[in-house]
Amino acid sequence: MATAVAGRAPAPRRRPRARVRRREALAGYAFSLPFLLLFLVFTVGPVLSSFGMSFTDLRSADVSRPLSVNGVGLANYTKVLHDESFRQAVLNTAYFVLVGVPLTMGLALAVAVGLNSGITRFKALFRVGYYLPVVTSIVAVAVVWRFLLEPDSGLVNTVLGYVGVDGPSWLRDETWAMPSLIVMSAWRNMGTLVIIFLAGLQGVPREMHEAAAIDGAGAWGRFRHITVPVMRPALLFGAVITSIGYLQFFEEPFVMTRGGPLDKTLSVSLYAYNQFGFGNYSYAAAMAYVLFLAIVVLTLVQFRLLGSRD
Amino acid sequence: MTTQIRQTSTAAPAPDPSGRARGRRRSERAGIGDPHAQPWIYAVLGVGLIVLVGPFLWMLLGSFRPNRELKEVPPSWLPQHPTLSNYTKLFSQLDFPTFFVNSVVVAVAITVGNLVFCSMLGYALAKLDFPGKRTIFVLVLGTLMVPGVVTFVPLFVLVSNLGLANSFPGLIFPFLAGPFGVFLLRQFIQGLPDELIQAARVDGASEFRIFRSIMLPLCRPALATLGILTFLTSWNMFLWPLVVAQSQDHYTLPVALAIYSIGENKSDYGLLMAGSVVIVVPVLLVFLALQKHFVRGIAMTGIK
Amino acid sequence: MRRFTQASAVAVVAALALTGCGRSSDSTAGGAASPAKEVKSGKATGAITVWALGAEGDKLGSIAKDFEAANPAAKVTITVIPFDAAHDKIATAIAGKQTPDVALVGTTWVSEFAGSSALDATPTDVIDKAKFYPGAWDTTSVNGTSFGVPWYVETRLIYYRKDLADKAGLSEPKTWAELTSFTKGLQDKAGVKWGISLQPGGQGSWQTFMPFAWQDGAEIVNGKTFGFDSAPMQKALDYYSTFFKDKISPTDLAQGALESGFIRGDIGAFVSGPWHMGILKDQGGASFQGKYAVMQMPREKAGTSFIGGGDLVVFKNSKNRDASWKFVDYLTQVKAQQKLYSLVGSLPAVKSAWTGGALSTDPLLKTFGSQLQDAKSAPAIATWEQVASSLDDAIERVSLGKQDSATALKAAQAKANAIGTGS
Repeated sequence: MATAVAGRAPAPRRRPRARVRRREALAGYAFSLPFLLLFLVFTVGPVLSSFGMSFTDLRSADVSRPLSVNGVGLANYTKVLHDESFRQAVLNTAYFVLVGVPLTMGLALAVAVGLNSGITRFKALFRVGYYLPVVTSIVAVAVVWRFLLEPDSGLVNTVLGYVGVDGPSWLRDETWAMPSLIVMSAWRNMGTLVIIFLAGLQGVPREMHEAAAIDGAGAWGRFRHITVPVMRPALLFGAVITSIGYLQFFEEPFVMTRGGPLDKTLSVSLYAYNQFGFGNYSYAAAMAYVLFLAIVVLTLVQFRLLGSRD
Repeated sequence: MTTQIRQTSTAAPAPDPSGRARGRRRSERAGIGDPHAQPWIYAVLGVGLIVLVGPFLWMLLGSFRPNRELKEVPPSWLPQHPTLSNYTKLFSQLDFPTFFVNSVVVAVAITVGNLVFCSMLGYALAKLDFPGKRTIFVLVLGTLMVPGVVTFVPLFVLVSNLGLANSFPGLIFPFLAGPFGVFLLRQFIQGLPDELIQAARVDGASEFRIFRSIMLPLCRPALATLGILTFLTSWNMFLWPLVVAQSQDHYTLPVALAIYSIGENKSDYGLLMAGSVVIVVPVLLVFLALQKHFVRGIAMTGIK
Repeated sequence: MRRFTQASAVAVVAALALTGCGRSSDSTAGGAASPAKEVKSGKATGAITVWALGAEGDKLGSIAKDFEAANPAAKVTITVIPFDAAHDKIATAIAGKQTPDVALVGTTWVSEFAGSSALDATPTDVIDKAKFYPGAWDTTSVNGTSFGVPWYVETRLIYYRKDLADKAGLSEPKTWAELTSFTKGLQDKAGVKWGISLQPGGQGSWQTFMPFAWQDGAEIVNGKTFGFDSAPMQKALDYYSTFFKDKISPTDLAQGALESGFIRGDIGAFVSGPWHMGILKDQGGASFQGKYAVMQMPREKAGTSFIGGGDLVVFKNSKNRDASWKFVDYLTQVKAQQKLYSLVGSLPAVKSAWTGGALSTDPLLKTFGSQLQDAKSAPAIATWEQVASSLDDAIERVSLGKQDSATALKAAQAKANAIGTGS
């Protein structure tokens, strides 16, 4: 009996299901089409152009006749890998990402949890306040931070002076220039993450905390075992977005140090930008696609570690 | 214990089409841990606030300082000789209304475009099943990772070949469909329950209607987040509008501001500060208008 | 819509097909060989579009009005471009074939844009080479052909606190050795913290360093051979770095701290261009005027300084070429050059414009005028910005004591050779 039912049942259902599926697929394409049209022309087109460019010897002098250049195969890529400044830039970028991403995410998470911990007063003020660095123009930010980090009279060294510490010349010091930029970037970028995490935290039911508290779980235990698991998707999104942004780390060294001192804050993006400015278009493109590869790998790892099981 | 909690929690945020669950959700939203915030949390958050807002305040105060005072070392916090001259210079030197309108047109068009196109594709990728969908997602996510510096020149060549140089379409079209929005909305919509769609289909609703009347309202928070982020980036765009505009009547605010404040060998910091303040204000207004949605939204869905 | 699809198809195909096409051997010459056509005589007519840079460019409008008054059938439209993005904008415009008729460009960009075959060769029947400072004219000359006209110039002098020097009984140094003892004297006898502030590397530091190298007879490039590892270059870098080793010059001066330090009396001297007169006036106020003076570069074998500024170029794609050159010619007449100075303080590139007004009476300006007679420009090679960055790098390494000058310059030479001159 059971087999008979199982054997017969799907038959009459197949037709409508196929129709539903077709209808769904059609709808899928219809919803994708407008985006894809614009996307193929204005995003994929230039990406392919630049990717093709990385296998040629195109320089800025050739732009008026881009077809009259030579294909050079992987020459740009091998040159990139042997470029000493590029290697330095890779190390700097890795340093920046490995320290910067956890720092930014940790701070943002702490603030989000704080903002979510039942504060009732000045809610909007806090939210806007923590978002302000994101909207403030980088030029203004650069001016202010330069004053803060000024070796003799800057606020940071003045405060350090009170406790008897002789602060370095932050942006001109080989050891301290990069940490300075990391802190500045965390300061600038945590606002966006706070919003995303704050949103993710809303999915954590309060009853669960109360129940766990009654069971004797401490604040840290509750955070670890209740908040973090629920936050996993938001954490993944934040980690991916922040890593992609940080791997393309550019604005801070561009306005603060121009990559100095002695290339200690030269990032891959900044170096590619410089090469681009020098007119070495194809070489800059090769560099960008090496960076692209690194971003892809890191993103895959993050999806593995933090991704949902579906 | 962990798994059990996760199961409960993923079930908890599921929205109820009837709206029955709304009241319950509201009580959840009050926060985790202690029901009432302790003073020390205010204290810590307050200190953090000062650190974060300080530079912005300095910019605001700086916009009321004469240029000479801005370059003083060490700098002072309060303006010694407060003045409005930076603002009068800003509004008299620049053709302010034109640039402001251009900026609004560009930023609003790009924002609206992204909200529409990204939500459509994001919905399709999250909830509809069709061949090639994975490829599309990988492609879209992939371009998010290509550094913009190398696609810049090919994009401009393309735009001028299309005859769009020095036009608003040239300023807008390339950014109407951004990968970031698709990623954000796909993640978001995935968290919405499938049952809603199936129920609507059984009721005979068209696919477009399901999207418009059921999905979009539920997405409001995610759309608000995407809205503010897109508005902010397109509002602050600098190099692209500069390169596409061939005449000053197509300049946007940041471009116009840079002309007058940054010189070859000296910069007008006062004008720069005043300009930065003026540029930030609309973004802040948009943020203030949308910030409530950020939180309410994901409460219902959760990013998945 | 048709155009839309066509163009996008072309873009994609072009990208994929790139590998299939090759350079023809004559396509690299950058059009340098084609001689300039004559410009028809008579008044200028038609529309002329001009890209000008920064606040200075904004003032070009009033000079253009004079031109329109003299040429009623011509209409000049000026678009002002922010300074720090101008290079990117023009380079991209060339790629997209969206160039204007006339543009003001940085002196070091001419060779690059000429290499892209974007610039029209200067018509010698309209423009008289002899009226410009030779160093300024050199900035337009690529492989013997000129692709533009100098419009304004700047050169570097030594600014110093005259009041403090007088008090310490120090007189203007004329040689390298005297410059060292002069700046040391400011520290020992006048109590300044830093005798002089020189750039310890970083972007553009070659502009401060190269005058010393030129003073000793060094050359950046001779034909296609770079001269970074030459003896005079090394001697100059050794001399330059003694200021940092002997703690006469700071190595970690924050941006913007130079002017206030100079006004306060913490810094005794620095090397810079004419714009610092304006900055010191703004920041120091009237009471500071007269406390400082400028002096010419010291002599070793020569007393050379650096010359930079802005050049006017006409693009090949111009639809109104003759009128464009007439406009450029108008801008380099004495009257327009003097008006430019009075409007924005930019120094005239035309020698005879220095005879009137403040240019002939102000002692500071007169010193700039004299130095312009002995000033060299960056070499007109398309790869200069990139080569310069490797020199900046060497200067930084030696100034900070990380490497000796021989090693650093050898590395710079190797990098420069790898980059080449681009032609």
